Amino acid sequence: MIQFDQVTKRYPGGIDALKNLSFGIETGEMVFLAGHSGAGKSTLLKLISGLERATTGNVMVSGHNLSKLRRSQLPFVRQHIGVVFQDHKILFDRNVFDNVMLPLDIIGFDRREAARRVRAALDKVGLLGKEKVMPIRLSGGEQQRLCIARAVVHRPAVLIADEPSANLDRAYALDIMELFKSFHQVGVTVLISAHDETLMEDYGRRILRLKEGQFTA
Amino acid sequence: MKHYLFLHWQSARIALVKILRQPVGSLLSLAMLSVAMALPLSLYLTVMSVQDWVGKLTATPQITLFMEQSAEEADIAAVGSALKHHPRVKGYTFVSKKQALTDLEKRNGLNGLTEGLDANPLPDAFVVTPTSLEPKQLELLQKELSGLPMVEEAQFDASWAKRLYGMVDLGKHLTLFLALALGVALVLITHNTIRMQILARRDEIEVSKLIGATDSFIRRPFLYHALWQGLLAGLVAWGLTSWLVAVANPAIAEFAQLYNEQVELRGLAPLELALVLAGAVLLAMLGARLAADHHLRRVSAS
Ligand SMILES: Nc1ncnc2c1ncn2[C@@H]1O[C@H](COP(=O)(O)OP(=O)(O)O)[C@@H](O)[C@H]1O
Ligand SMILES: [Mg+2]
Repeated sequence: MIQFDQVTKRYPGGIDALKNLSFGIETGEMVFLAGHSGAGKSTLLKLISGLERATTGNVMVSGHNLSKLRRSQLPFVRQHIGVVFQDHKILFDRNVFDNVMLPLDIIGFDRREAARRVRAALDKVGLLGKEKVMPIRLSGGEQQRLCIARAVVHRPAVLIADEPSANLDRAYALDIMELFKSFHQVGVTVLISAHDETLMEDYGRRILRLKEGQFTA
Repeated sequence: MKHYLFLHWQSARIALVKILRQPVGSLLSLAMLSVAMALPLSLYLTVMSVQDWVGKLTATPQITLFMEQSAEEADIAAVGSALKHHPRVKGYTFVSKKQALTDLEKRNGLNGLTEGLDANPLPDAFVVTPTSLEPKQLELLQKELSGLPMVEEAQFDASWAKRLYGMVDLGKHLTLFLALALGVALVLITHNTIRMQILARRDEIEVSKLIGATDSFIRRPFLYHALWQGLLAGLVAWGLTSWLVAVANPAIAEFAQLYNEQVELRGLAPLELALVLAGAVLLAMLGARLAADHHLRRVSAS
C-alpha cells in the first residue's frame, strides 16, 4: 500500500529531515512510527499524504508514484487518505457537524448521503450527541476525536495520525488507540506516530523507529 | 454530469445566501458597482437618443437659396429654370420677399413690423429638396447652387445637424472611455471584495487544501460571489438608468416642444441589457479570479 524507495527529504535551509529511507507497509497493516521530536516523523507522514514532496527517491501510495505525479494531481491523492494532523486543524468558526462535513464537500458528496456519513463517523468516535456544539467547547480528547471523525468520514483506505495521543492523559490516549485499532480491524491501513513508545508496545504491532531521519533497530 | 451541475448550483446558492446575509457590506459594494455602471450607461443612452433624433432631422434635408436684394424678376426666373432642369434637384418652392414678410408677421403676431423701414429687408428665397441624402453630395450641391447668378447664399438647413453629429461622435468616444475606465474599476472593486473574503477565510482555505481541495474547488465560491455581485450590480444600474430616463423624459419633451421637436431618451433594449449584464458578470469574475489566483498561492498547504 505504501512504499518508500531511497527517499530523502531536504528542507530549504539544508536540513535533511529524512535520509535515504526505504520501507513498505502492506494493505490493512497497522504500523507505529516512533522517534523523538525532530526525528522526522511528521515529514515522513507528509510525504505519504502529498503535503511535502521527496527531494530524491520514490514514494508510492496505492499504486501512485507521488514523486512523479503533477502538483495539480496531489489533491486527488489527499482525498483518498485520512489524516489526523498534529496540530488538529479544526475550524473554530463552525460546529462539529460542519467540521466533519468538509471532506465530503470537497469530494462532492450528495448532501443527504453526506449527512448520513457524518453522523456515522461522529457515532463511531462517540460525539454523536455533540454535532451542533462549537469545537471551542470540546475537551482536548473530544477535539482529537473530532479530528479522527473528519479523517475517516470519507472512508479512506489509508489513515495517518501524527501524534494523536500527545497532550492526552494515559486513559484517554488508550481510548484513542483502541479507536484506531477498530479502523484497522475493518481493513484500513493505519499508520500512527508518537514520541512515547510505551503506548505502542502493548499492541504488538510493527514499530518503525526514526532518529535524525534514519531508522534505528 | 447532473451531479456536477448540482454541486455548482449548490455553490452558487450558498454564495447568494452569503451576500444576502451581510446586507450592509454587500450593499456598499453593490451601490459602488451599480453607480459606476449607471454613469456610462446613462451617457450611452443620451448619446444614442440624440443620434436617433439627429438622424430623423437629416432624413429630409433641404437647401435654402437666398437671392440678393437687387435681384430682379428675370434673375429669379433664371434661377428657377436652372433648378427645374438640375438633375440633382428633386423639387423646389419659391418664397417671395413679400410672402416671407407676411409669414413672419403672421407667425409672430406683429402687424406693421416694417412700417418704420424703407423697404422689405427680407430676400427672395428658394427652398430646394435634393435627390440624394448623402452628406458629400449635399455639400457639393450646396456649393454649386450658391454659384448661381444673383444667389447671395445657399444655406444647408441641416448643417447644424452635422455639427450635432460631430458632438454625438464626441459623446460616443466619451462613453467608450468612461465605460473602459469603469470596467477597470469594476475589476478592481471585485478584486478587493474577494481579497477581503479570502483573508477572512484563510483557515478554511488552508484546511481545505490540506484535506484535498483542488484549486478550482477553493475558487468556486468566490467566483460565484463575484457572479452574483456583477449580476445584481448590473440589474441595479439598469434600474437606476431606467429611473433617470423616466424622470428626465417629461422635462426634455417640454424643452423640445419649444422648438417644435420631439426628443425622447430611450431605455436599454433587451439585447443591450443582456450584453451589459454579461459584461458586468465577466468583469466581476475576472477580478475575483485574479484575487483568488494571487492570494490562494499564498495560503500554503504544499
Ligand atoms: N517546513 C520546514 N522547513 C525547514 N525545516 C523543517 C520543516 N519542517 C520540519 N523541518 C525540520 O526537519 C526535521 C524533522 O522535523 P519533523 O518531521 O517535524 O520531526 P518530528 O515530527 O519527528 O518532530 C527537524 O529538524 C525540523 O526542524
Ligand atoms: Mg511532528
